[in-house]
Amino acid sequence: MNRRVCLEALVPHITDQLVVPSVSGQWIWGQLTKHEGNLLLGSMGNALGVGLGMALGLPHRKVIVIESDGSVLLSLFNLPTLGTLNPDNLAVFVFDNEAYSGSRISRPSATAARTDLAAIARDAGVWRAVTVRDFDAFNREMSLVFQEPGLRFIVAKVEETFEHRQAERSDVDLMESKYRFVRYIERTEGKRVFLGRG
Amino acid sequence: MEPELASKLVNGLRSAGINFVTYLPETRLSQILPLMREDKFFQLAPVASEAEGVSIAAGASLGGKQAACYMEGTGIFVSTYNLLTVAERFGVPMLLLVSYVGSLADKRNSFLYVRRGTRMIPVLEALGIEYHILSDGENLETRIKDAVRMMHALKLPVVLLFTGEFTL
Repeated sequence: MNRRVCLEALVPHITDQLVVPSVSGQWIWGQLTKHEGNLLLGSMGNALGVGLGMALGLPHRKVIVIESDGSVLLSLFNLPTLGTLNPDNLAVFVFDNEAYSGSRISRPSATAARTDLAAIARDAGVWRAVTVRDFDAFNREMSLVFQEPGLRFIVAKVEETFEHRQAERSDVDLMESKYRFVRYIERTEGKRVFLGRG
Repeated sequence: MEPELASKLVNGLRSAGINFVTYLPETRLSQILPLMREDKFFQLAPVASEAEGVSIAAGASLGGKQAACYMEGTGIFVSTYNLLTVAERFGVPMLLLVSYVGSLADKRNSFLYVRRGTRMIPVLEALGIEYHILSDGENLETRIKDAVRMMHALKLPVVLLFTGEFTL
């Protein structure tokens, strides 16, 4: 399975959802959609936590987190917290290529050996945690995200690709991405995010 | 901490508008947790690591919550990566409520905690994070409001380090 193909299939579903991609997915996601509800973080190990906070703070909005195996492994403590807090407006897609693909040497991650992220998530209390290995299964699980409420954690086993190494880096500074996102929240939620004089 | 001081602290947070708090329980300020839990004004998020406490608070803050992270001083060391890569790099306002373990006025200080205390300020300064040390309840509400105003002015985390009377 190919991550770009999966993300291309995800794009048409995005309307007013808030999307938080981890660093490995953000290059492709940023090329595929300029949705104002995208929050490009530019770091590993943070997307799930930030997306979780967003889902808790805005329980009426659907939040989509796009993660990778290396990033989830870096912050495994997120999984018991996710299982405990169980926000029903959050969906997590983990694109698991079983490698540290952002490095130049692509060393295998723990998921290339015995680690099963969906099993860890399930045992941490995330009941709807599944692994999908082909596009049809991905599509099926992805559709459910938009059809019914409930926390979902979908580990998509994908082949390792190298397009991100050649991809032109965005010149959109993280601050710019943040303000664009925050103004979108302010407009769609009708409230101020950053307070002025208190 | 005396129950009255705990109430004062929670009331101060409330009147400063803090309405979302991630926490990892610790000893010194622990009396504030039952008070916040009883108060529907606060949305609480228990975490497994202070590191995710910072990231979760960042997400809530960007979604429009007035967010705080309550942690022991050691949590600052644990969450340094998240403070740097999300809160500081991204510029996210949040209030860090930190029990200043191992500080000079920590009434529970011992050989177990003292290194954590003596390294705290250099670490915060290296991160470029504003902090204020509180050792008593005088003008507490005003000082919390000042910190919240500062975090919004900077669009960065601001740390309140609690020691002295808060560590009894």
